[in-house]
Amino acid sequence: MLEVMDVDVCYGEFQVLHQVSVTVKTGELVVLLGPNGHGKSTLLKTICGMMSPAAGRIKFDGEAIDRLPANKIVEMGLTYIAEDRHLFPYMSVLKNLKLGGFNKNAHAKEEKNLAWVLNLFPRLNERLNQYASTLSGGEARMLALARGLMSNARFMAIDEPSLGLSPNLRMDVFNIIKEINDRGITLLLVEQCVPEVVEIADRFYLMEEGLITFEGDSKSIMKNTDIKEAFLGM
Amino acid sequence: MLRELLDVLISGITIGSVYAMMAIGMALIYGVTKVFNFAYGSFYTMGGYLAFVFFGFNLGYLPVLALVVPALFLAGMGTEKFIVRPLRKHDNWEMAAVMITLGLALFLDNLYQVIFGSYVKSLPSLFTGNLNIGTVVFSVQDVAIFIVAISIMFLFMIFLGRTRTGMAVEAVAQDTVGAEIVGIPKDMVFGFVFGVSAVLVGMGGILLAPKYYVSPFGGWNILVKAWVITALGGMGSIRGSLYAAFILGIVEAFVGWQFGYTWTLFAWFAVLLITLIIRPQGLLGTWG
Amino acid sequence: MGLTMKMKKELLLLLAIYTVLCLMPLAVHGNLYLMNILITCLIWAVVAASWDLIMGFAGIFTFGQVAFFVIGAFGSAILTRTIGISPWFGILFGGMLAGVMGLLVGLPCLRLKGAYVALVTFAVHMILEPFLKSSVGRTIGTGGSPGIMSIPPLSLGQYEFSSMNLIPPYYTAVVLSMISLLIIYKIINSTWGLAFIALRDSEVFANSLGVDDFKYKLLVFGISAFLAGAVGAFYAHYVGMLSSRILGLDLFLILMVMLVVGGMGRFPGAVIGSFITISVSELLRPLENYRLVIFGVIVIFLVLFLPQGVTGLLFPVKGKSPLTRLGEYFRSRWRTQH
Repeated sequence: MLEVMDVDVCYGEFQVLHQVSVTVKTGELVVLLGPNGHGKSTLLKTICGMMSPAAGRIKFDGEAIDRLPANKIVEMGLTYIAEDRHLFPYMSVLKNLKLGGFNKNAHAKEEKNLAWVLNLFPRLNERLNQYASTLSGGEARMLALARGLMSNARFMAIDEPSLGLSPNLRMDVFNIIKEINDRGITLLLVEQCVPEVVEIADRFYLMEEGLITFEGDSKSIMKNTDIKEAFLGM
Repeated sequence: MLRELLDVLISGITIGSVYAMMAIGMALIYGVTKVFNFAYGSFYTMGGYLAFVFFGFNLGYLPVLALVVPALFLAGMGTEKFIVRPLRKHDNWEMAAVMITLGLALFLDNLYQVIFGSYVKSLPSLFTGNLNIGTVVFSVQDVAIFIVAISIMFLFMIFLGRTRTGMAVEAVAQDTVGAEIVGIPKDMVFGFVFGVSAVLVGMGGILLAPKYYVSPFGGWNILVKAWVITALGGMGSIRGSLYAAFILGIVEAFVGWQFGYTWTLFAWFAVLLITLIIRPQGLLGTWG
Repeated sequence: MGLTMKMKKELLLLLAIYTVLCLMPLAVHGNLYLMNILITCLIWAVVAASWDLIMGFAGIFTFGQVAFFVIGAFGSAILTRTIGISPWFGILFGGMLAGVMGLLVGLPCLRLKGAYVALVTFAVHMILEPFLKSSVGRTIGTGGSPGIMSIPPLSLGQYEFSSMNLIPPYYTAVVLSMISLLIIYKIINSTWGLAFIALRDSEVFANSLGVDDFKYKLLVFGISAFLAGAVGAFYAHYVGMLSSRILGLDLFLILMVMLVVGGMGRFPGAVIGSFITISVSELLRPLENYRLVIFGVIVIFLVLFLPQGVTGLLFPVKGKSPLTRLGEYFRSRWRTQH
């Protein structure tokens, strides 16, 4: 479904990604591991159109998306959930959610999606009329996820969904992620030091210094003790 | 004495309403696109001159407006698309945006001078005569100006709060990246906002022209005033600019009455400085 | 810290320009009009360079340079007229007065966000004119609306500079501007200077590495104001008269054009910008009002297509930007920990 082929990305003259290639098949749940500051978030941002690659191609469902603006990519069904959330601070939770369904495809299904999302995240239902800036860290993360779901996405790129959450909330988040995946939405996650991820993921990639240094499924990653210790916290 | 004070108050509120409309335009651009449009004054003047040209064809007020408003909108949108947007990929693009809009202002203002000459132009008043309510005398023109300005602002606030495009504009202002994430076409919003603000300030030019005339460099005064108002309100806060405009409008009327209009800006800056010391983020300091 | 390639090139360019300048009078000393233009270019070059220091290099958006220029000019004019000290001291005094004002303005400004700093400094500029014309101003000797008519000229020993022989003022301008530019150059390339540039490119990044911005910003405010004020005083003694009209928009806009033409944040862009802008301005004079229309178009084109200005044409920026260097430092730290 998503093919990233030999992509180079630079911040000015500083090259962050070197010939990165990643594939995600339809329906899969792929996890990208790696140390901080080595390009994982950059890869996600490039995939969803917020940055342009200096070289390489990105294809979504066979169509090239590396030169498309972010909003066109969202329309095609690819949604990004940022690590720093980027919620609309002075709008209510409800309005944030509605804006999540801004694109044409989602707008028609707004009510249905809203019902589904509020079912998944009952905490948000309680806070519907509060400003997003008043939410706690965990609730904000949920809202970001929920808002992303409103976009009727078929593919979601999620950057560290469990960052800063208590172990209980982490459990909840991963359960929700599993449920989303079961619904048929393809997922590419960026995570680190989170053992829970091994149970739900189909495949893993490891990125170090902007290069892909490992690719494999849960079995192969469990055999690799270095990676297990360094990046999965096991 | 009381009568004079009342006149001053009325005068302040009237001019305040037009200032509010123009300040909102600037708050809009700054809040949404984070660009400081140095050519803002030139769009004010553009409104006046466009109206002057169309009045020259002996058209009535409404046909003139029907022609000028779209022209202003296109001019604003064009500026964003062709002059400001290409800068975003440069380093330090905010400064580049100021410089380029400065170039635009230089170009436009001197173009006006070349085409229309240095002498001021006047626009016909929409209404003449006075209105008497009790012992207070209002000029009908002033009342009309007030009503038009307030209506425009009212419509605009409704637009922002209730329409889908309005929500998109607010979203881009509150978190540009977030807006991209939900699929809002950021660039179109930028262009749209520039267009709307050109209309707002250009309308200000038309409304004020019968009293203050149109001149090639008259826009700079407006740029500075809109700037102070927006800063007082809290850069990018629409409601803040609204309050600030009326406050400063009344200050202007009062200062003009007691000390002469040359001290207006001085007084305004004093108010601004004092406010910023107490509240560095301005009156309302946030979007909304 | 040895001189890098880039620094060497900039210094060489400056020396080349100044060599030409020193030799110019051999060709044009008879032509008073041209000599005057050259002196004017040098004066505005210093103002533009000081503005570039604070805006282009330190990234602080201000509009106060012209105000500081005027403060220095009036300060020196008034002092030399009332107390009768030598105009040379007047220049120093003008600079110091402006410098102190710069620090005073900088103190509150630095607490504010970027757009506000611009506004406050613009306010200083706008308030200066009514102040100079007011009764308070007149009491201290600003001459009110008409301004000051007879300002003592500079003199060397017994010889008084006059408007008939422009060679002495010319070389004075050359020397003064050279000193100013070298001061600016020293600041840009000092350890402070690199800190400024890092701040300008990414305040968050730089703050995380422990760069204290307040001290540096205040210093830059003061120094750029000092330089503008000093050359303002020179201007006062050179022209011999002064009025508040100089605070009008025209000067302001032309200075900005100089920055754009020369290249902001590129040394010695301001000097190049000054000479080119004034030359073009004079060449276009026959076109009268079209002159400024064309200027506007030129500015737009330059910002769009030549953001580094003319200096960018001569020495395009290659090699690593400070952001790159910071990034690489960050990376190497990670590497050494693993």
